[in-house]
Amino acid sequence: MNVVSAMPAPAADVRLLSGNHACALAATAAGCRFFAGYPITPSSEIAERLSLELPKVDGVFVQMEDEIAAMAAVIGASMGGLKSMTATSGPGFSLKQENLGYAAGAEIPCVIVNVMRGGPSTGMPTRPSQADIMQARWGSHGDYPLIALAPASVREIYDETIRAFDLAELYRTPVVLLYDQVIAQLSETVALGAAHPRGRVERKWASGPAADYKPYAADGDAIPAMPLPGAGYRTHTTGLTHAEDGFPTQNPEAVTRNLSRLFSKLDGRRDAIDSWETIHCEDAEIVIVAIGISARAAMRAIEECRAKGVRAGLFRPVTLWPFPQAALREAAAKAKAVLVPEMNTGQLRLEVERVLAGAPVKGLNLFSGEAIAPAQIAASITALAKEVR
Amino acid sequence: MQGARTEIRIGGTGGQGLILCAKMLAAALAADGRRVAQSQTYEPTSRGGFCKADLVVSSGEVDFPLATAVDHLVLLDQLAVKPSWPLLKEGALVIADERLCPKLPPGDDSRHHLPISRTALELGSERVANMVALGALVALSGICARGRIEEAVRKATPRGFLHLNLDALAAGFSIAAEPIPAAAS
Repeated sequence: MNVVSAMPAPAADVRLLSGNHACALAATAAGCRFFAGYPITPSSEIAERLSLELPKVDGVFVQMEDEIAAMAAVIGASMGGLKSMTATSGPGFSLKQENLGYAAGAEIPCVIVNVMRGGPSTGMPTRPSQADIMQARWGSHGDYPLIALAPASVREIYDETIRAFDLAELYRTPVVLLYDQVIAQLSETVALGAAHPRGRVERKWASGPAADYKPYAADGDAIPAMPLPGAGYRTHTTGLTHAEDGFPTQNPEAVTRNLSRLFSKLDGRRDAIDSWETIHCEDAEIVIVAIGISARAAMRAIEECRAKGVRAGLFRPVTLWPFPQAALREAAAKAKAVLVPEMNTGQLRLEVERVLAGAPVKGLNLFSGEAIAPAQIAASITALAKEVR
Repeated sequence: MQGARTEIRIGGTGGQGLILCAKMLAAALAADGRRVAQSQTYEPTSRGGFCKADLVVSSGEVDFPLATAVDHLVLLDQLAVKPSWPLLKEGALVIADERLCPKLPPGDDSRHHLPISRTALELGSERVANMVALGALVALSGICARGRIEEAVRKATPRGFLHLNLDALAAGFSIAAEPIPAAAS
């Protein structure tokens, strides 16, 4: 579905909203009642807005001493039963990685927003990048699954923030919401009246006899039930590898069983997790794969190229991790070449090359702190079309 | 499909209130039922450095939300000329502060060198140069009705500064109405 063109015509409920504010409003709409964070450009408006919104719904807003503590507080609040979130950018996302791994390993639902700014290190605080694509997936040590969502408009930030909470709660997993500084601080006219109907999911809570409860024992759905504090269930949570009873173990069978279940939890639900948008891929000789503001530029470039007789199309992963590989293979089945414009040196291209092994894949990489312009993409499409014709 | 697209850039240096006045204009246009995308670039300092606030205004959806071909350009500092000039459309409206942005490259634009910052100083604060510029921009571009922008300024201004902001906005309309010959550059 074309999310941007699907925006309804201006109506009474149309308002001007920035991406970060849309994220904050969506969080409370999704039932988020705890935010801990440490302000960092260009994500600070999320915290700022939530400091105003959360008290209105009896939620808790805490400005912590740093990003590490903020991530830890989010995990604690989630274990306490609240839908919880943090938001950060660049160096802050790096600092959160160890605890993010804890949330993945201990299966604590939470949402982590990372607004991508120029890096490495302190980098360019006020400039956009898309260079955390791989960090979002592989940033913490060890082997763990994770979901990352990559919205491309203010409206989509709203929808995907709600979906991030739904996925986190349903599957007991951290969900990263990943978008660039341009989309974060862009204000767009949006109609929230017709916004995402979801956001009312409840995680699977422990029920039944307390004596039989094992915190990491899962039935057929691979999702262990969480104990609501005070409900009478004995539990143990640790960053150490654990068996079904929650206590540390290095027993090879138990370790293998637990990690396999952790992966199968998401692998078995790709139909519900994967999401993407395709535009004009049916007859496209050149398929573009892009996210965020680069995808918005690609939409314009495609129209310009089609007007000149070059059949271009767009495949836009909305769920970035796990990567919607089956959908990309289908969308690019007839393409002669694939172009990956991104604000980094070629991270998304690596994944596209893996998925479309053997197909010609070119990158268009800009890492100057500027967004890629439609004209740059159009020029690359035209050149690539000449090469492969 | 994309409707008729108008692009506006307000360029200057950090601290001039460019983003604020772009947000006010965006609110006025949104209230008019227009689709608006408003973006900005700024430096990690609270004052100084190149700063710009862009608006893409459309009757239909805005696909690419950043400026690519600017119809109306406001320049409040010489620093903003170089990064903005290549984006100017043929025959674009250019409003430049005569004191802070005295030199403009040659072009076929419709240019207005106006005493924006001087007018703000005469009103008592250079800080309202953004409001003067906003008034001049709305007057010369006709992008929205005067009532709309006044309403947006009212909504976004703390009470203590309301009179000053509205006076500055009105002064912008006035200096735009005065016949000022295009400055030779």
